[in-house]
Amino acid sequence: MAEPVLRIEHLTKVYPDGTRALSDVSFEVARGEFLVVIGLSGSGKSTLMRCINRLIEPTGGRILFQGRDVTAASPDQLREIRRQIGMVFQQFNLVRRASVLTNVLTGRLGYTPPSWALANYFTSAVVDRAFVNLERVGIPEKAFTRADALSGGQQQRVGIARALMQEPQLILADEPVASLDPAMSHSVLRYIEELNRKDGITVVCSLHFLSLARRYGTRILALKAGQIVFDGLPAEIDETRFKAIYGEDALEVEIT
Amino acid sequence: MATVGGAGAGGGMSASERMRAERHYRPWFRSWRFYIMTLVTLAAYVYGWQVTQIKLPELWRGAHLIAPFVAALGSPDVVVRENPVQQAATPFDYGGEIPPTPPTAASGPVLRLSQSTGHAGLRVTATGSGFAPNRRGMLEWENQIGVRQELVPVATDGQGRFTATFETPDVMGTRNIVFADIISGVGPLRPSPTFLVVLGRMVETVFLALMGTTMGIVFAVPLSFLGAKNLIVHIPGGRFMYGLTRTFFNIMRSIEALVLAIIFTVWVGLGPFAGVLALGVHSIASLGKLYSEAIESIEVGPIEAISATGASTLQILRYGVVPQIVPQFLAFTIYRWDINIRTSTVIGFVGGGGIGFILIQYINLLQWRQAATALWMIAIVVAVLDYASAVARERIV
Repeated sequence: MAEPVLRIEHLTKVYPDGTRALSDVSFEVARGEFLVVIGLSGSGKSTLMRCINRLIEPTGGRILFQGRDVTAASPDQLREIRRQIGMVFQQFNLVRRASVLTNVLTGRLGYTPPSWALANYFTSAVVDRAFVNLERVGIPEKAFTRADALSGGQQQRVGIARALMQEPQLILADEPVASLDPAMSHSVLRYIEELNRKDGITVVCSLHFLSLARRYGTRILALKAGQIVFDGLPAEIDETRFKAIYGEDALEVEIT
Repeated sequence: MATVGGAGAGGGMSASERMRAERHYRPWFRSWRFYIMTLVTLAAYVYGWQVTQIKLPELWRGAHLIAPFVAALGSPDVVVRENPVQQAATPFDYGGEIPPTPPTAASGPVLRLSQSTGHAGLRVTATGSGFAPNRRGMLEWENQIGVRQELVPVATDGQGRFTATFETPDVMGTRNIVFADIISGVGPLRPSPTFLVVLGRMVETVFLALMGTTMGIVFAVPLSFLGAKNLIVHIPGGRFMYGLTRTFFNIMRSIEALVLAIIFTVWVGLGPFAGVLALGVHSIASLGKLYSEAIESIEVGPIEAISATGASTLQILRYGVVPQIVPQFLAFTIYRWDINIRTSTVIGFVGGGGIGFILIQYINLLQWRQAATALWMIAIVVAVLDYASAVARERIV
């Protein structure tokens, strides 16, 4: 069996205030998977996502990315690992006052000598690549617009273009559509799905809505109170499992 | 306790809920708080009226004192017309001596008097010829020490001649000269000397504000990082530095630049440098506080996103932090420069240089037209820069 892109072993995160966000989480992500992480707010989805590239330092356990230990990486090694992992955020996390192009270019910083930042210099090849990626997400004409002048859906597409600049092996998408309306949600998720199918980029994506998870995921992982309560195919989530994940009072709502 | 409106009206409410609702709906005129607040407010304004010695009749009684100034506002000393003047002169001595007749020029204007010696109070007839025709002018008397006074206005006829009678004035000295000045044409408009002085001082004012603001920026930028809670508390001793910096900002900000200017004039002497220092120190505190707050309000999202791309600390600062704070820093700086220009117009009142330095002199000497020139200059320049900075800020933010 091929080496998994990502292997999480006994991952635990306890915040300084004592909150136990993740306890003993272990799973593997195979190359080419579209893994959707579901769970209620506060179930540990965001913490899990951020532990993978160590935006949040895990308290215990190990994370292996393509066989390399992320948790034990030195700052330089971590930079090198991070640049292979694209990340898409719920709030898009664009620099609002900067142009769309600049935002996309920042995706390439992991490959750029740090001192170039002082002169705001990117090679023309990188700028060309930024335009190619903006074309891919369908907004090449917005390159010189300020990021905050874009609609939410467009901003998230800039976020995807930024992640693409990294030529990532893995994309972490943390609630990428939670701030968008349903129509926009599908448009954004379809771009991520295309990257997964066409480019073979492995995706780990957290979502609120089970309907979206079923539609896009090739596999679903459910978290509840920092623990995995389900790991399997979308079709396997029936009424009983749904209630186990979301609680007895929950009703499944469709988002179309 | 009896329920108002019967049991049915309360619906599902408990007794305490109903009481809360009643209190909430009590009309204002049934609230004792309203009457207390009204009394307190009234007392405050009555005392305020007395303590500030508001005497409205003074506005009317003193109106004539300020009238010349109001009139001067309509005719500020901005331009002068330098008209070409034809001049002729002839001496007139007191005390019996007959002065030597001046050599008459072959051509050009000539002034002759009916007599060239006498005493004060004589009636003398002056005739002029050779002047430009149909022009107006003035007959003037210059005494022995060169002080001139006007005698009578004159006007030339179609041949360029005039005749006028005047009374010899009572002046000191014996050797006098009578002048005939005929305005022979219309000269070009020139900026008046007052205008040039005021303009020079206004330029000084603007640069005073610029230097003061620059001094503020240079010190406020590094200090603002010490005063930004979100950054500094991660460093050992950070909380102490934060408290110290913010206390410094708050104390210095509470002292007006005008007060600082008085202190600095004692230190470095009268002049614009004292003003620069005063504005600078005040700006350090004001800008420092605003900058600190700008740094504290940056979003962590973009920083997180840029970290996730594998960027180094320098790259994160350049692409995650700087773009977030620079527009705000610029906007605050322009805003401060704006305030500093306005302050620098009055900082001269206490000797800190700039246009206020001459404005206060004009006012003290009751030179209303000159004062009006300075005031108009301030109003126009401040308004224009105000507008420009508003436009600039709008573009940046």
